[in-house]
Amino acid sequence: MSATTADDRAPKKVSSGRRALRPYLLTLPALLLTIGILYPFGLGVFYTFFDYSASNPQPGFIGLENYTNMFASSDFWSSALVTFEYAIGTTVIETMLGVAVALLLYRGSLVSGVLEKVLILPLMIAPVIATIMWNLMLQPSIGVVNYLLSPFGLGGIEWTDSPGLALFSMIMIDVWVFTPFVAILALAGMRSLPRDPFEAASVDGAGYWYTFRRLMLPMLWPYILVAVIFRFMDSLKMFDIIYALTQGGPGDSTMVLQVRAYQDAILFTSFSQGLAYMVVLWAIVFGITRILVGVLGRAQARAAGAS
Amino acid sequence: MATLKLEGLRKEYGRTVALEGTDLSLGDGEFFVLLGPSGAGKTTTLKCIAGLEEPTAGRVEIGGRDMTGVEPYHRNVAMAFENYALYPQKSVFDNMSFPLKSKRYAVSGEEARKRVERVAETLNIPHLLQRLPRELSGGQKQRVALGRVLVRPADILLLDEPLSHLDAKLQMEMRAELRSLGDMQGTTSFYVSHDYREALALGDRIGVLHKGKLHQVGTPEKIWHRPADTFVARALGQPEMNLIPGAAVSGAGGRVFRSRDGEIEVPLQGNPEVSEGTEVELGIRPLDLDLADGEPRPDTVEMSGSVYVVERLGRELEVTVTVGEHRIAAITNDAGARPGDRVRLRFPASKLHLFDGESCRRLEQEAGVMDRG
Amino acid sequence: MESTKAPTSNERPGGGLREVAINLLTILYFAFALFPVFWMIIVSLKPSNELFSTYFFFHPTFDSYRTVLGLAGDSGVPFVRFFMNSLVISIGAVLLSLIIGIPAAYAFARFHFRGSKDLLFTILSFRFAPELMVIIPLYVIYQKLGLFDTYIGMIWVMQLVTIPMIVWILRSYFQDLTPELEQSALLDGYTRIQAFMRVAAPLVRPGIAAVALLSFIFAWNNFVFPLILTSSNAQTVTVGSLTFLGGNRPNYNLTAAAALVAAVPPLILALSIQRYLVRGLSFGAVKG
Repeated sequence: MSATTADDRAPKKVSSGRRALRPYLLTLPALLLTIGILYPFGLGVFYTFFDYSASNPQPGFIGLENYTNMFASSDFWSSALVTFEYAIGTTVIETMLGVAVALLLYRGSLVSGVLEKVLILPLMIAPVIATIMWNLMLQPSIGVVNYLLSPFGLGGIEWTDSPGLALFSMIMIDVWVFTPFVAILALAGMRSLPRDPFEAASVDGAGYWYTFRRLMLPMLWPYILVAVIFRFMDSLKMFDIIYALTQGGPGDSTMVLQVRAYQDAILFTSFSQGLAYMVVLWAIVFGITRILVGVLGRAQARAAGAS
Repeated sequence: MATLKLEGLRKEYGRTVALEGTDLSLGDGEFFVLLGPSGAGKTTTLKCIAGLEEPTAGRVEIGGRDMTGVEPYHRNVAMAFENYALYPQKSVFDNMSFPLKSKRYAVSGEEARKRVERVAETLNIPHLLQRLPRELSGGQKQRVALGRVLVRPADILLLDEPLSHLDAKLQMEMRAELRSLGDMQGTTSFYVSHDYREALALGDRIGVLHKGKLHQVGTPEKIWHRPADTFVARALGQPEMNLIPGAAVSGAGGRVFRSRDGEIEVPLQGNPEVSEGTEVELGIRPLDLDLADGEPRPDTVEMSGSVYVVERLGRELEVTVTVGEHRIAAITNDAGARPGDRVRLRFPASKLHLFDGESCRRLEQEAGVMDRG
Repeated sequence: MESTKAPTSNERPGGGLREVAINLLTILYFAFALFPVFWMIIVSLKPSNELFSTYFFFHPTFDSYRTVLGLAGDSGVPFVRFFMNSLVISIGAVLLSLIIGIPAAYAFARFHFRGSKDLLFTILSFRFAPELMVIIPLYVIYQKLGLFDTYIGMIWVMQLVTIPMIVWILRSYFQDLTPELEQSALLDGYTRIQAFMRVAAPLVRPGIAAVALLSFIFAWNNFVFPLILTSSNAQTVTVGSLTFLGGNRPNYNLTAAAALVAAVPPLILALSIQRYLVRGLSFGAVKG
């Protein structure tokens, strides 16, 4: 194979400056999009310092008044409370149930092969659609749930009309939709774990629950944590299910923060007020995300060291 | 074919210095081996030559042309990667013909097929042409990687530890094949390895790299017989050269080396350029050591000690002897040594190496001595 | 997801009871998970006169579907139109995100450059941001710009959902690719763009397809954006499915049919992305 010399004309040169420019060019569209999204966001924050509403299209600057009013109102605190109740309730139940389902599928059984394929189904259904489904089922007089419960003497429950139960129903719908999310992640985690520690434990005569608690769970921690972060963050801002079921009712018992903001800003067209709710919610979500991501980073590092 | 020149080549990654101002000149058609432990900067050097990395300072010249700012596809350089980097979704044939489909090296389909088949013949892999990389063994993948590099013209051939993932037997086979291929092609080749045996077997010249610094460049003979410092001395040879710390003192007939514990005294020939009391290290390769019996011979040095451990290496033995506070390793055929035996180690005085205790650089024992290699 | 043998399974005597229990519990969960869908199918097939009279025994008919799809005269709800809107908006949003996201993901994976971390995390923060934070100002802005109730307006705002997903997941896929493959192509005479197109892109193609489908699903299922930023023109099927519930006598069977029709596309697509699910759902944080 005869080797020829380099081009007889001098090779083209690319300045290092131009080379350094490459990543910036590639991310330029994304940057523009980001700015395009940050603009309304920034505008929103801006509006909260005014008394902007449809009835007041020339708003005046009122500083922190929206915020002080909001923090002073019981509406805000009850919304915040319900939001957290919802988020914690859904996350805890989904995590436990999801891991349990993952364990069942991981352990394997006659039915698990087939059923695993449809695990994802509820997750793919829009929360609104899921709410419609459950709404139909939970109708007190004609819904099938009460029908099925009546032999046990539990028929006639007002699922959506009584304040306490309404929140419970919503949590149940959320659990129905999103438990597969946790289960899928946990299952993938279980399947990715190394065999050796478990074989060693088995040889040492460790029992099932002991193995699970001391060995599997710590190694699964990063997977579970990812699921928890996603679920908690999403539940804090849940809108679809609440709106579609009761619009925040009965009364204000399920008025989570984002639904309240909707009510204020869109229905009552008090834009600034609604936005104030959102800014607070965003700040909460942002803060918690930072903390949880830090925890996740440490958990992943620890798990990587253990394997 | 072209010459390769590195001038003050320096590469920093943030605050880490991977390569410190390296200078190197390769002649046309030379087969050069860069030897160094992992992390020494060997791959960084290759990448700078190839244009895959931009040096922080200094420049690369190929065929006399400055390559600063020139993109890899304009440099006419070919590289075989340590992990083969075969395109996983392409067959062996497609892998090897891929370079010939680029605008730069394009040839007709017929010509491409001929070339690939010819190279495959040379490398003994014509039967693998339709397979996918995942179906190949390590040795086969390595040949395909080489084949891909040989199908198109190149001024410089870069080889990044191509044999490091093969088992020992295959390594030796491929070494011989590589050398003959290198001779056949006549392309200037830059081979990188951490295995000194490969370096000695393949290189016209060897460069020893450590922590980004080139410690010595020379022919295999020179590097072996006259290592420039203790790092180079220990880099070649298994087991490593024995290094005994001590000082140069005055003694009968001139300078004498005395080990730190006083146990070993070796007269130094000629007039070593070292002043009285300087700390030095005495080096002697295990291969040059032998177990003495009978009368001491002229021009040899002897040390007494007791055998610490004996390891069988096929036909030879590696005998470690405790002399004073030092453990000295020797390679010998003498099967009679047992741990605990008192023995005399003997080596020819001419095989002695001397290094400055502080700078670790080689000290010439005779003033004005000619470079033998 | 293939099944592997559980390392913790100790086959002990009395395992028969355990098997039964596990099977039972599994069935119990999936009964809970699948029953609502099953029930919806039943309701959707019920004729109007049997809606309230019986539960499980009825004379099935496709009338509801015909009405919903506009095949049996005017139902008063342009459901097919909504379906088309969802299609246009979801596909459009995903396409735009791919065009913007693929080069960005590649840059984030391969290069270290100033501001990359900040931009990356800002994009991720869109995933967790409360939607109304952006929608309320957009409600005002869109009215002024005439983007209210338009495809463009919806495709733009949907980026909030699709871009974080595409950028983060594809970045994870690009990081998996050894740079040596592209470097090898560079030395073989290909420019960077050619090396990307002919070596890197084919290897991530399945990942791109999967993430595109997953983003499509989440764009399709989105409710908040169309609820507020559209009215009759660009309204999507998720919002539209609620309309049958309005009025004194809500048409449960029509609602059921509408809901099922709205749910079908994501379900079908979900079947084809099983393998990439874990990485997709966790945004690349976890590899399946």
